[in-house]
Amino acid sequence: MRVLVVEDDRETAEYICSSLKALGHVAAHAADGKQGFLDALDSNFDVMVVDRMLPGLDGLSLVKSVRNARVATPILFLSALGGLNDRVDGLEAGADDYLVKPFAFSELSARLTALARRPPMQVEETRLQVADLEIDLIRHSVARAGEEIAVQPREFRLLTYLMKNADRVVTRTMLLEAVWDFHFDPNTNVVETHISRLRNKIDKPFERPLIHTVRGTGYSLHG
Amino acid sequence: MADNLQQPSALRTSIRLSLQYSFLYAVLSALVFALAYGFTQYEVEDWVLDQMRSDAEILSEIYQDSGANALISRVDALAEVSFENARIFRLVGAEGAVISGNLLVGFDGPVPRFVPAEDLQLKGASNDEVEGYWMREDQIGPYSLIQGSGDHIVAEILEALGLSLVIGYLAVVLLGLVVGVRVGRITEQRITAISQTLSSVSSGNLSARIPAVANARDDLSRVSGEINVMLDRIKRLLESQEQISNDIAHDMRTPLQHLRQRLEKLRNSPSVAPEDVSASLEQTEEIIATFNALLRIAQIEAGNRREMFERTDLAQIIANVVEVFEPAAEDEGVSLTIDVPDTALDVLGDRGLLTQMLSNLVENAIKHCPQGTTVEISGQTTPSATILRVADNGLGIPAHDRERIFQRFFRGE
Repeated sequence: MRVLVVEDDRETAEYICSSLKALGHVAAHAADGKQGFLDALDSNFDVMVVDRMLPGLDGLSLVKSVRNARVATPILFLSALGGLNDRVDGLEAGADDYLVKPFAFSELSARLTALARRPPMQVEETRLQVADLEIDLIRHSVARAGEEIAVQPREFRLLTYLMKNADRVVTRTMLLEAVWDFHFDPNTNVVETHISRLRNKIDKPFERPLIHTVRGTGYSLHG
Repeated sequence: MADNLQQPSALRTSIRLSLQYSFLYAVLSALVFALAYGFTQYEVEDWVLDQMRSDAEILSEIYQDSGANALISRVDALAEVSFENARIFRLVGAEGAVISGNLLVGFDGPVPRFVPAEDLQLKGASNDEVEGYWMREDQIGPYSLIQGSGDHIVAEILEALGLSLVIGYLAVVLLGLVVGVRVGRITEQRITAISQTLSSVSSGNLSARIPAVANARDDLSRVSGEINVMLDRIKRLLESQEQISNDIAHDMRTPLQHLRQRLEKLRNSPSVAPEDVSASLEQTEEIIATFNALLRIAQIEAGNRREMFERTDLAQIIANVVEVFEPAAEDEGVSLTIDVPDTALDVLGDRGLLTQMLSNLVENAIKHCPQGTTVEISGQTTPSATILRVADNGLGIPAHDRERIFQRFFRGE
């Protein structure tokens, strides 16, 4: 994917760009807000990473301007401003996700991948399928290899999120935020216990597991 | 800042204000007193003129009922009993002959309303204090009656009134001034107390408070109270800030030390073991998590999230938190139950913070309760409050720890 990184700290920018390139992505760097704005208008990026505090044009204004110019590229705020209201401000300005510095690259990468592959105008899908696992979003039913599996509502929501992000890595914090609206990290391994419950139902009775643990990062659902 | 708080200017303000009010008060009083004087004068003169008119009417009745002789003798009698010419009379016949009275000389033309005493020739001695006479002329049958009333009674009444008014006025103005200055001084003392407290605070004494004035329930007390509340809050905030710095130092030092040791070991070792790198990264994560938690606590305690409060359904938060922790609780052999009413459990609050608070409590209960414990999360609305309760039938918190559990980072045994 093509990523625009608007970041004034050179070391961080280089770290992000080189790490992205190592994963086979194309990364472009803009060192200030104005340059970032021009780049965002000019080139067709799949996703943008924007710092909050930038010289020239600050991150919030940059995102607002980009949105005013009707550019729909998904934007992730990457900011040292981790205050309780900063996140809300960022999302209200038009960003799609918010990650607080200091961050782990695996977290950033997972979030960018989730953002980039999201089609701009989502057509409401009613059925999702990965390998022989199928879910029906209207009937709230799950089946694997044609066999109906009874799941609880909370398991269904978790599974839906994993299915929508199939083949991608989802981190623990992404799950906490997206599935349960938890914007903090509980000390208990709640995500692990939920995944383990889900595995018992959709993986254990079958030969091939679909939910894979990505060590130190999170999970990935794929065939 | 300190220059603006100098006491002389505060003194001047209150004293100047009370002097201004005293002056205004004096002018207004003078106006009222002058009006009273004028009205009295008018009324007394009116009364004198009324008396002469009523005398003329009585004499006219006497003439009609009893004839000319009765009239003449009555005028004679009136002139006779008039002590020191307080009243003067002159009865003149149709042909111009003087018939009776103590006014010896009449007037050419109409009788004026007021005549100075020295212009009149009177029979006998006059009172020295009479300066003039109010005059009246009436026609009784063929006779012309001129009467006059000396002004000395009126003058004396007015003199007495004037004297009492002036004394009263001086007393009123003096009292006003004294009370005004006194009130001004009291106000000034209280303002001085406020400004002294404030300058004491700005010079570093955060415990300084404006002393309360007994029995004072005025706006100055209210402002003082509000300033004291604000100072309390500033003090608390600063203390919390200090506490946070200490906590950061304390909670960061050990993990940073560990991280440093690992990195030093990595630098010195010929080959880098992936486990060591992972451990370092985990250490970093730990430090970041602690750091974020501390910052979050600081922000919550500063209370600046209050502006984000909105109507939030507590029942929904309870359901969500229980959903998140239920599998973890099952693994620990703890069961979670919910007890909420069917009606809405709306509170004004922050969804994210309430969620975190509830999950802290539930998490704590799961972690520290023995197997078989039931944790009940309930919500209810009373007329005065909405109550959220997390209760378990586990070990409970020892009585001596109950105060301390609200301290940051406190851990019971």
